Order: sequence, then C-alpha cells, then structure tokens
Amino acid sequence: MLELASIWKPEVQQQNYRAILEAMSRPGRIQNITFSQSDSDAMTAILATLLDGEVSLSDPDKQINTDDWPMLQASNTEPDCADYIVCTGNSAPEFEPKQGTLSSPEYSATLLIQVESLTSGSSRIRLQGPGIETSEEVSVSGLSEDWLTRREDWVYAFPLGVDMILVAQDKILALPRTTRLEVI
Amino acid sequence: MTELEREEWISVLNLVPDEALREVIDNFPADWIIKPKALPQAGLGLLKIRDSALGEPFFLGEFPLSTCWLSISTQDGQTAEGAALIMDDRIEQASQLAICDAVLSAKLPGWESVAQLVSLGAERKRIIDKERKAILARTRVDFSLLDDAGDDDA
Repeated sequence: MLELASIWKPEVQQQNYRAILEAMSRPGRIQNITFSQSDSDAMTAILATLLDGEVSLSDPDKQINTDDWPMLQASNTEPDCADYIVCTGNSAPEFEPKQGTLSSPEYSATLLIQVESLTSGSSRIRLQGPGIETSEEVSVSGLSEDWLTRREDWVYAFPLGVDMILVAQDKILALPRTTRLEVI
Repeated sequence: MTELEREEWISVLNLVPDEALREVIDNFPADWIIKPKALPQAGLGLLKIRDSALGEPFFLGEFPLSTCWLSISTQDGQTAEGAALIMDDRIEQASQLAICDAVLSAKLPGWESVAQLVSLGAERKRIIDKERKAILARTRVDFSLLDDAGDDDA
C-alpha cells in the first residue's frame, strides 16, 4: 500500500552503489545509474545510495527537491563543512570544500556535479592515474572550466583533496582525487 | 471519535491483533496515494541512561525499533499525515499504524473502524495494566514490619 520509489529500495541502491564503486575505481569509464524516470532522477538516486543520517549535505544551487530531504536523512549544512555537496556544473564554485586532514583524509567532501552530457560536448578531458591503464578521454558539456581549475587547487596535496562525481541523465563519471586531468 | 489523545493512539493500536489491523487497512480505498515522508526503517535502538552513583552515562541495552512517517492523498483531494514509532522490528506494522494515525487524525473515510480499533486496544491496555499492577502488588515489600521488630543489634 505504501508507495516507495525504486531508488529507496535496497536492491536498486545495491546496483547503484556497485555502479558508483566501479566509476570511482575506473575513472573515465561512464557508468549507468538505475532509477525510474517517472518519479526520480540520477542525482537523487546517487544521494539515496550514499547518504544516511550520519553525514551532512549541502545544496547551494537548490538542486534537491524539498520532499527528498527527510528521505535522505542527512543534515543540511554549508558547503564549506559538508560531507557531500550537490551543485550545477555550468556555474563556477564559490566555496571551499573540506579536503580532510593528513591523519584522516577521508573526512573530505564528495562533490556531485550536475552536467548536461558526458558523451558529447566541447570540453574534452584526458584522464590519467590509478585505475586507468594509459589514459582515457571524455567529452563533457555543461561543466565550467573553473571547476577543473579549482579542483587542481583542492587535490594537489594528496592525500588531501576532494572526489567528484559528474552526473548527466542516467550516467555518471567519477573523478577521484588521484586522477590527473588535462583539457585537450 | 475517541477519548484518547493522539499521542496514545499508536501504543494502543499496537496491542490490537494483527489480523484485525490488517482487515481495517485492506478496507481502505485502493486508489489512495500513500507516500513516505521519511524513509521507513527498522533497526535497534539504544537506551542510554545515567548511573545513580557517578552520573556516568551507559547503555542499558538495545531494543527493536521501527519508524514510519507518511502522507495519504485521497481522490477527492483530502490529505493527511501520520507517523508511528514502535518497539518492533516490522516496518510493515509501523506503516500500518502510521496509516491508521493519518486516517483517524484527518477523519478520512473509514476512520470509524480505526476508532473502534483504538477502543479495542485501549481495553486490552487496561487489562494488561491491571495484570501488571497485581503482579507489582504481590512483589511489594513491607518494610514497616522491620521497624516493628526493632534492631536487635542496637
């Protein structure tokens, strides 16, 4: 009788968790997110998979539906101290996300960035680093180059840094802090 | 309606036989849209209290806990919200109770049968309370007898 959208069900969250894990371990390879087009979107599906009541979330660009906040359980906070930040890719970031500490680099932010497309676009990016055999190239549209510039500042002092997940339609592309990017 | 306050509805409804509760829920219109407001969950709760000597907090133990918060929209435009937090590990039970809470609070169609369940549960609660009081009375220690006997070592 209780109608629960598929993204809140364990079996779908397990599939999406596997996709996120695969994306993070193989940067440059696009993964698909499972959700029902009628009642959800890929961003909410990712948030539903990753978040619980123990973490904080910031939504500076107001991407998250008001009704979804209680379902996500995460506390709403400012981008500078959030564990997860949801933003749009076409505007430049105006915050300084958590980058962790040397003893606990995992206390850093994960940025979920909504872009227009991961398969076509004017921005071509070459990726290199762990999880990539030689190099991978992707075309992204809807991502301001300021994001890549700011990312360089955030990740240069490894193991400190931030991890990014680009989201478009039902696809995701992960940019872990270990991945080196070059705009070509 | 019912003489009980809303905050007591869930505890008495939880004493109603599962079949009776299920029957009432099944009779609600199938075209109602029932959506969760928060993720229904079941798990373990931890009971934290302070010891009386040093005032240090400690966990007395854990207990099963289920929670559900939902909204109901009927075809004629009525909406209602209900919630349940029970010491039980069945989400289904919590969601059924939350539906009853919403129906009774907004007097949605069928609220009379929920009110009857509340009365039934309240009656069961009275019986249980009476039994517990009787048990408690049997275990009471009358220290006045010790006073009467006096202290031989004094």
